[in-house]
Amino acid sequence: MEDTLVSLLHGFSVALQPGNLWYAFLGCLVGTLVGVLPGIGPLSGISILLPITFGLSATQAVIMLAGIYYGSQYGGSTTSILMRIPGEASSVMTCIDGHAMAKKGRAGAALCIAAVGSWVAGTFGIIVLTLVAPPLANIALRFGPPEYTALLVLGLIFLAYMSSTSLLRTLVMACSGLMLGMIGIDNMTGHFRYSFDLPELGDGIGIVPVAVGLFGLGEILATPSRTVTGEVIAPKFRELLPSREEWRQSVMPIARGSVLGFIIGIIPGSAHIISSFLSYALEKRISKHPEEFGKGAVAGVAGPESANNSASTGAFVPMLALGLPTGPITAVLIGALMVHGVAAGPQLVNEHPDVFWGFVASMYVGNLMLLALNLPLVGLFVTILRIPYAYLYPLIIMFCIIGVYEVSHSIVDVWIMLIMGVVGYALRKFAFDPAPLILGLVIAPIFEQSLRQSLIMSNGDYFIFLQRPIALGLIVVSAGLLLLSAISLVLHRRDWRAKLAQAEAGDAT
Amino acid sequence: MTIRTDHVAGAAFVLFGLLIFALSGDLPMGRLSMPASGFMPTLLATLLIVFGISLVLRAGESQDLAALEWSDLKHAVPVVLITAIAIALYTQLGFILTMMLMLLALLVLVERRNAVRAAVYAVVVVLLAYGLFDRLLKAPLPTGPLGF
Repeated sequence: MEDTLVSLLHGFSVALQPGNLWYAFLGCLVGTLVGVLPGIGPLSGISILLPITFGLSATQAVIMLAGIYYGSQYGGSTTSILMRIPGEASSVMTCIDGHAMAKKGRAGAALCIAAVGSWVAGTFGIIVLTLVAPPLANIALRFGPPEYTALLVLGLIFLAYMSSTSLLRTLVMACSGLMLGMIGIDNMTGHFRYSFDLPELGDGIGIVPVAVGLFGLGEILATPSRTVTGEVIAPKFRELLPSREEWRQSVMPIARGSVLGFIIGIIPGSAHIISSFLSYALEKRISKHPEEFGKGAVAGVAGPESANNSASTGAFVPMLALGLPTGPITAVLIGALMVHGVAAGPQLVNEHPDVFWGFVASMYVGNLMLLALNLPLVGLFVTILRIPYAYLYPLIIMFCIIGVYEVSHSIVDVWIMLIMGVVGYALRKFAFDPAPLILGLVIAPIFEQSLRQSLIMSNGDYFIFLQRPIALGLIVVSAGLLLLSAISLVLHRRDWRAKLAQAEAGDAT
Repeated sequence: MTIRTDHVAGAAFVLFGLLIFALSGDLPMGRLSMPASGFMPTLLATLLIVFGISLVLRAGESQDLAALEWSDLKHAVPVVLITAIAIALYTQLGFILTMMLMLLALLVLVERRNAVRAAVYAVVVVLLAYGLFDRLLKAPLPTGPLGF
């Protein structure tokens, strides 16, 4: 514990250097703008700015890029509350009750609760990260391929179980993502797979073009400008403080959202998105007045907003301690570190303490910056949101092209982005969620490698997953989740997920 | 028989699975004790086919295909076409010219905005983006035959 505190103090001495402070501020500001603007997510923002970090030190680069990530979680709530358009995918749930509060004249209170909840959850997440990441790095050394395989299977099943669409639809999307991840050189044998003699496909399909295409361009194609009203509810500065009753109603949801979000954040998948959905469902389930949800329930804003911020911090635990990307954003961050010759993983704490502890300390500072930025700048964000969508989306397409092209200066990647945009549009039409596809793509290499290594270790015996305690535990949880889904399916019973999906659909119309 | 969305989606995933099988012909499968590069794709293609068939079988719960709303295609198709042309020209004409033309086309042809305002907007925005990325942030953007 004492060592951790000494290391953290060292981290603050790094994070508080003027240069590092500047990049933390820049990341937070850009992140907030990325979150505020609909159609451009943190992944696009990070991708667009990734090439400019090549000239920075590893610490500055990761401080700025991470600032964009957690900054976007703050910013996303602004658009959700004021316009009922999720500025960022994880703010979907905030649209429902946040905008309902705004319509009741409580926009300022909703923004303040979202900002304070985000700050509390973000800070909680960093404290746990500070305590958990170093010892987890030691435990991770005991994980072998069967444990990793079981962990990834659990991640997929968990994602499918939590899906409000259906288990089958989520699994089919995850399989499609895993399949896309098979493109390129097979790391274990050196075979080229499905690369059609295109050298650009030799390294596989990048996460950035697929994610930007599915989420950025796909969203634009499915959103004709005439359907975007551009109506923004502008709160007055003096209305920003919630009432005593609203504070009271938000305390426990913030606490629960912080813990839940952090735990979900560690699990592979679009954790910040899932955590906000799960937090909303949890708050609705345990609320004494579930009928208020959808009509401006404070808990419907406080819980999900806290959960998505805590999850974005939680996602850094496996990234820093295990070198495991739990989603496309952490994958890009790992890539950014690798450009600087720094490998994320168990050795990061010892080999690059400046990077590790400087990064951790910068998040404490960054969260304070975001709290200070978000509320006073609401007026600026309202002005930005008033730009007509017809002028905004061509700009977003331009940024998508820049961001994708700049990652590896490959025009093939930009074509992939366009194809994925069309695929994303079709998926939306047929009610498929593209998020599991991204997860599949991200985990495909490590999933394939750990599964094949497990089979080699056991001489082709699948029972290896049942013979090792950690793997067995993870498989049992996966089986339990599948069983629960099967029971609902057989009995045609509508569980909380189906009800949530119906509520979202009903509310959206 | 009413054709539903999941009939089409399920069939598409079955076809996707079959396509993978067709393209995986030259990939070695290996043995279970030593899986080779064709192992995982085959496993995934099988799962895709199984899930696709399951979707078709459970399609009764999905929406009627005829009831699907396609009015946004009038927006999506020209946006895709204009973006595709811009991508094709991106490395030929360079960032500035291509993006100005793309923004102008989207605003005038798709959004029916005033051409002069759209042109001013396109020029200003693209030059600002160029200044920000290429000059300030030192992230090189493609240049055209005229050197910009």
